[in-house]
Amino acid sequence: MSSFNPATATDTRQQYLTFTLGEALFAVGTLNVREIIEYGHLTPVPLMPPSILGVINLRGGVVPILDLRQRFGQGATQVSRRSCIVILEVQRSGIDQVIGIVVEAVNAVLEIPEQDIEPPPSFGSQIPTDFLIGMGKLDTRLVVLLDIGRVLSLDDLQLLAGRELPESA
Amino acid sequence: MNLDSVIGTFIAESQELLQQMEDALLQIEHAPDDAERINAIFRAAHTIKGSAGLFGFDSIVAFTHVAESVLDRVRAGDVRFNGDLIALMLNVGDHLAGLISQLASGHDLSDLPETTRATEAALTGELSHYLEPQPANTTPAAAPDTPTPVAGAGHWHLSLRFGVDTLRNGMDPLAFLRYLGTLGSILHVEPVLDHLPPLEALDPESCYLGLEVAFESQADQSAIEGAFEFVREEGSIRILPPQAPLSAFRELIAERAAEGTAQVERLVRCGSLAADAFEQAAQHNDSAHETATTRAADTPERAAKDNSRTSKDANLIRVDADKLDQLINLVGELIIAGANTRMLAQRSNLADMCESAETLSRLVEEVRDSALTLRMVQIGATFNRFQRVVRDVSREIGKDIVLQISGGDTELDKTVVEKIGDPLTHLVRNAMDHGIEPAEVRHSAGKPLQGVVRLNAYHEAGGIVIEVSDDGGGLNPQKILAKATQRGLVSEGQQFGDKDLLNLIFEPGFSTAEQISNLSGRGVGMDVVKRNITALRGTVELDSVLGQGTCVRIRLPLTLAIIDGLLIGVGQSSYVVPLDMVEECIELPSAEIAGQQHLDLRGEVLPFIRLRQLFDDQSQPPRRENVVVVRYAGIRAGLVVDQLLGEFQTVIKPLGKVFCQVPALSGFTILGSGAVALILDIPGLLTQVTQHANTRIAGQSNALRSTAQ
Repeated sequence: MSSFNPATATDTRQQYLTFTLGEALFAVGTLNVREIIEYGHLTPVPLMPPSILGVINLRGGVVPILDLRQRFGQGATQVSRRSCIVILEVQRSGIDQVIGIVVEAVNAVLEIPEQDIEPPPSFGSQIPTDFLIGMGKLDTRLVVLLDIGRVLSLDDLQLLAGRELPESA
Repeated sequence: MNLDSVIGTFIAESQELLQQMEDALLQIEHAPDDAERINAIFRAAHTIKGSAGLFGFDSIVAFTHVAESVLDRVRAGDVRFNGDLIALMLNVGDHLAGLISQLASGHDLSDLPETTRATEAALTGELSHYLEPQPANTTPAAAPDTPTPVAGAGHWHLSLRFGVDTLRNGMDPLAFLRYLGTLGSILHVEPVLDHLPPLEALDPESCYLGLEVAFESQADQSAIEGAFEFVREEGSIRILPPQAPLSAFRELIAERAAEGTAQVERLVRCGSLAADAFEQAAQHNDSAHETATTRAADTPERAAKDNSRTSKDANLIRVDADKLDQLINLVGELIIAGANTRMLAQRSNLADMCESAETLSRLVEEVRDSALTLRMVQIGATFNRFQRVVRDVSREIGKDIVLQISGGDTELDKTVVEKIGDPLTHLVRNAMDHGIEPAEVRHSAGKPLQGVVRLNAYHEAGGIVIEVSDDGGGLNPQKILAKATQRGLVSEGQQFGDKDLLNLIFEPGFSTAEQISNLSGRGVGMDVVKRNITALRGTVELDSVLGQGTCVRIRLPLTLAIIDGLLIGVGQSSYVVPLDMVEECIELPSAEIAGQQHLDLRGEVLPFIRLRQLFDDQSQPPRRENVVVVRYAGIRAGLVVDQLLGEFQTVIKPLGKVFCQVPALSGFTILGSGAVALILDIPGLLTQVTQHANTRIAGQSNALRSTAQ
């Protein structure tokens, strides 16, 4: 029997957008990616944690922009000529949330078969394992598959914002 | 045609018609012979019946038909509107509204609750009293003493030619036959296909059909005519009553002269015209041509008259509110794109280009203004709803109270109008229950026995003011103080002005009524009113003169989507302060150095907040700084900013979940340049000023910033 089976092929081969942040290669499912735009025109929002860089005007809508590296507790992302903003669309608990993330460079859209995805390592990762789906094996290197819903979790972001609040004394 | 998709329209339309019917009924109470209103009521009932028939809601049709018959008698002058009939008709309207909402919630009319059925039966019973002198379901009195062509009593002949647009207008000739079936029984139908064009010229959306119907019914002429109300103008509908004289048939044949003898044969086949009369009728066929032409001449005039009546209604279109919001968003983007183009044009130094860009921007701004007015609706419709409330409540509590409405044409945003209904209901009921005194008290106070509740609306300073006033007993400040002390809302010995005392009734858990009535007085009223209004960015205050009455004044912004703002700059960022909270702008006196928290404003102490510090802006402050003096809820404070960038009108974008906990911000807006500006939450900032020393806020936020992460 032929190994070709369209049903499983579409099920297991999800497409991922890969991008670079610091030294590492990350990937998010393309279904969550709305668009990729040039970096710029950021308006900072005061009294927010440093991981929230500000907001941009995306064709009339106001979209918050997140620095993933600061979100992971690493240094600030260096903005260069190749920097982009990836606009992500996440649905959590019934609410559609549009958030942008700053990346150093966008690489490619790849199909990663399920058998090439390993569960996240239990230790040794610089990124909280909550945020990971797993590690994808490419030809030469590993790619970190992000559980973008978790990364952009509204409750956590609100908590971050809330921490900035001057508690009434 | 898929009926499900239009059933929503039917429901919305019927609800609107019922509302119109109710309004007209309430007005007719004061002028029972107003023919136009009577007609309006009749038309409403009739249209509901007609549309219900199209959808096959037979129970609505049957019920409405009875009501319509009564209304028809009113229209004819046989019955006069009096209090009982109006009350009955209001109940009929309520029952219909109930049936419609049953449909709206997706229920079938066949499984109505038992009580609804009982109501319907009772209403039908009451209605039929009005029909008794000449009930619709008895044979019409003495038939005209003319030669009987054929057929016995109750044999109608209907000659129907539908207009070409009948199908396009959503009518189905078959539905008329079905509806006729509810009025009597159809004996014979002859299709008229003479007007059918050859196949290649045929437009499948046009209606070429005509029908000749022999119909047996006990219904009266207007009921049968009524069935064709919607096609009467376009098509040609002739209804010949039972035992119609031969001349009537002759006239009919004359009118259908173009169809020649085929029409006469059809009449015979229908059994409406005896075969021996055929010859007679045919002889008159020639003279008929003349009659037909003269008739045709006066029809356009009549049609034009009818059109002018309908055209006013046709000027309104129903639009989904979401579509409007989308439009307004798009227009907002258009403005930004236009500003960008203008900037590029100026940079290009091409005079023609600049001019064209300027024209474009101006037009776009006009488009924005008119797009925004699309969301504005008159408050009159909301006010008129209270006619019914006042009428019902005044009967319930046994007081004679009349509602006076003014300023109904004041416009405000639809979202505001929708949310103001509940607080207004509360206030109106309060005014009636507690405000207006019983008749004997009014009599001894020398006031007219009839109490007056007034609803008024007007524009003031970029907002709208809604007043609910009554000419009742007014509020006693001392009584309020006593009550407030008793409830522990104020401590003993606290000093209040009269106005402050009056406004205590907006505090949670307050009620001045000694007796709790069915309507109000449970002490959950006024604080809910205040909360609802504050949620709409509005304020509420109360004026009262003991013995003369009370006036509650609600101030609301015209729209929730737009504010007039003052654009200010701090460092690289722009912020917007709502203009209605700005009192004045002054330059920060150079003597006021950092560390000081107050400045001297013409002899008064003005506390201020340095936005630069609050927002932790690290950039170098400019040589001269400005102070924006803001006031909200009686608190005044200064905001120290770098630059004043001028006034502008702006569309508010909500903060979104990520930022909703930031205390100093209430929203975003997009500037002409495409950059995002932040709208300052002045009430929030001022609360901070009153709660903390401003240095502590800044200090704390700095400290927290360094500890976070």
